[in-house]
Amino acid sequence: MPPVPRDPEAAQFSRRIPPLATFKEISAFLADVERRAFKQATFALRDDHSALDVVQDAMLKLTEKYSDKPAGELPLIFQRILQNTIHDHFRRQKVRTTWTTVLSALGRGDEKDDEFDPLETLRAKSDSNANADPAEQLEQAQIMRTIEQALSRLPARQREAFLLRYWEEFDVAETAAAMGCSEGSVKTHCSRAVHALAGILTAKGVKL
Amino acid sequence: MTNSDEDFAKKITTYLDQGAAGLKAGTAFRLQRAREAALARVGDPKRVPAPGLARSYALAGSGTVGGGGRFWASGKLWLGIVLIVIASLAYQQWQAWQQQLDIVETDAAILSSDLPIDAYLDRGFQAWLKHVGDD
Repeated sequence: MPPVPRDPEAAQFSRRIPPLATFKEISAFLADVERRAFKQATFALRDDHSALDVVQDAMLKLTEKYSDKPAGELPLIFQRILQNTIHDHFRRQKVRTTWTTVLSALGRGDEKDDEFDPLETLRAKSDSNANADPAEQLEQAQIMRTIEQALSRLPARQREAFLLRYWEEFDVAETAAAMGCSEGSVKTHCSRAVHALAGILTAKGVKL
Repeated sequence: MTNSDEDFAKKITTYLDQGAAGLKAGTAFRLQRAREAALARVGDPKRVPAPGLARSYALAGSGTVGGGGRFWASGKLWLGIVLIVIASLAYQQWQAWQQQLDIVETDAAILSSDLPIDAYLDRGFQAWLKHVGDD
């Protein structure tokens, strides 16, 4: 039984504190967000392996340092960690680039064969449109790919703002907090992102 | 932001949802593994200690809220560095002392032997020693 505070003011204060996230809530949150987080990282890094590493790092940081936060705060904290981890990855990559270019020139073998993973050829079970018309499916897949490519081509801040605001469904204030900028900037980034995406898709002949 | 912009964004996110749902099985599996690994660390990190190297990597990622500052501020890290420096200095000293001891032993052996010291400077004697050694 939890201790009852004697002071009525303390009792009122303790009632205002939101309950901390339970293990189940953290687990459900990560399960819900992991695929979108992976896609976000892929749009930014354009590399699946790096994106997986980044998402794993972000998840570890969340559970190690912020598992004692209320469940409602987890999405914002996680997005902040994810964005920072992506930025850190870029920073580290910049330092490594010099060495990688030198070493890759020396060791060009048949790396493609080594990296082949049969699991990558399978589709996840959650692909629910298995019974849809193949032509329609193909068209949808092409549109999806075009959209993903268009998102990858957006400037980083515009993409971040767009994904947080519309995909993660953050409000303007939350997006601003996650991105560490003003609400005005978020609105500008979002508007520019929408127009840039519309432009790219129109140029490619895609109508939504 | 106009309503048409919002509608357009919603259509885009519908496609993004489809893309996220249709991840390759290998990727989905790795994400699941990553989640399980993260969930194993929920709660007090002292209760579930992270393996040293993995933890260093996680902290070295740094820029996140909480940062890598703590990594360098950790007393254990500095204690480890100091111990390594002391150990390497001690090893260096011991090696120098051993070397000196070897030289002293060799000198003593040369000086106390019946052979005159000039013999070692004689080329003929060296050639004879080699010849004897080869046989």
